[in-house]
Amino acid sequence: MRESKVVALESKLMDTALRSPAERALIGEHPTIVKLRALVERVAITDATVLITGESGSGKEVVARAIHFLSARRDHAFVPVNCAAIPHELLESEMFGHERGAFTGAAGQRHGLFSSADGGTIFLDEIGEMPLQLQAKLLRVLEDGVVRPVGSDRSAKIDARVIAASNNDLVAAVKKGGFREDLFYRLQVVPIIIPPLRERRSDIPLLVDYFLGKMRARLPGRDWTITREAMVHLWSYDWPGNVRELENMVERLVILCEDSVIDAELLPPNLVTATRMAETRIPPTLGENGVNLNALVRDLEGRMINEALKQTGGNKQAAARLLGLKRTTFSAKLRRCGVIAPGSNGRDDS
Amino acid sequence: MEQANHVAQIMVVDDDPDTVTILARHLQREGFVAIEAVSGAECLRIALEQPVDVILLDLMMPDMDGFAVCRALKEDPTTAEIPIIMITARDDLDARAEGMRLGVSDFLAKPVFRRQLANRIRAQLDMLATSRATEATLSRFEQHNRNGGKK
Repeated sequence: MRESKVVALESKLMDTALRSPAERALIGEHPTIVKLRALVERVAITDATVLITGESGSGKEVVARAIHFLSARRDHAFVPVNCAAIPHELLESEMFGHERGAFTGAAGQRHGLFSSADGGTIFLDEIGEMPLQLQAKLLRVLEDGVVRPVGSDRSAKIDARVIAASNNDLVAAVKKGGFREDLFYRLQVVPIIIPPLRERRSDIPLLVDYFLGKMRARLPGRDWTITREAMVHLWSYDWPGNVRELENMVERLVILCEDSVIDAELLPPNLVTATRMAETRIPPTLGENGVNLNALVRDLEGRMINEALKQTGGNKQAAARLLGLKRTTFSAKLRRCGVIAPGSNGRDDS
Repeated sequence: MEQANHVAQIMVVDDDPDTVTILARHLQREGFVAIEAVSGAECLRIALEQPVDVILLDLMMPDMDGFAVCRALKEDPTTAEIPIIMITARDDLDARAEGMRLGVSDFLAKPVFRRQLANRIRAQLDMLATSRATEATLSRFEQHNRNGGKK
């Protein structure tokens, strides 16, 4: 018992102490991720405004926190604000505070989130959702470093570093007039773009290991291994919810697995059928609704060709022999059942 | 995120010349420049000689198969960062596992869908654009440091 506690503690130390905040925020060995980590470390020691762009779940807030904790501001507050979650009419007073009686219901004076972030960092997530009139006010704060609460005629100096974040639509919002161009450029002093997980598939096994390590630290004394087949499925999947979705999946698999082995059988069906490894089902009888014979024959042919290639380790000559075909016939079939599919729709067609 | 002033150069590698032609024609229609190679050796030679953005690599080729080509590309620092998309008729667990181990960027089973292929290529081009943008910002900092000035 004591031993497992020691191991768990060690693994926890590995996760929290030995990795720098930038490493923990951006796990991976993909060349772009390595460069991003260097950029995060480099920008953290400045006071420059940062605009983080990335799809949902790609880890924008995690990166913002890493920048804060690597900066000289680490002992002050990190204040996250989700501009999409706060009703528009409240956002201004939430951000900048208000005087007593500034509007109906403003019973007392209140400090805003900018004041809370004084000396620290304010993280404005989903900045694209901020109403235009408030964007003008934010621009003035960025330029002059002063904040004026709602209903007040006095401005107060505020020393808060601004890190903003958005999905990929901010440029489009600028073009459409929904987001101020001057504010966009003022925020984008240092742009940080976090790529979606599907663009750096090679990091998926590493991330899975990392999340399993986190689960070991949370549930000391337990350990899990993942089968190669399950890992291949995780690697093949497109992860629209990015790193967050992958982490949730690993947690779910750990909870579902009973004997500490994470097998492909535990994976949700949508994650498994995404790869084309499933076998075509050939109906034993014709049935009332009939079949599409051409499609079935094509499927069977493809499957047999695939099998033959698998058995022969990809040797086309030997595969042709296995199927009783001439090498040239085999090549022709391979090409026909093969290069570009009829119709233009793929699974990830968009 | 693709750069407007840069037409992406996509190399197609397959031992079957007809397959190369079919894929190259499709790529051109999608607005890419297609570079054709009919063997692993040719692929390696071209990758060293001229800029290539993405490589579409067939797995089953005589002499040097796709995995061997992939290993050689990854071992050479000048070609290690070129994204490789495996395209193969052999879609089984072992092939995918090996592709995963070797660090290929994507894995597509033949027959591929037109849209799907274009989307997967664009995903890798977006990643390259992100990589370049990150590099540019980093070097801006280096420049700033060398000048010794404050921002």
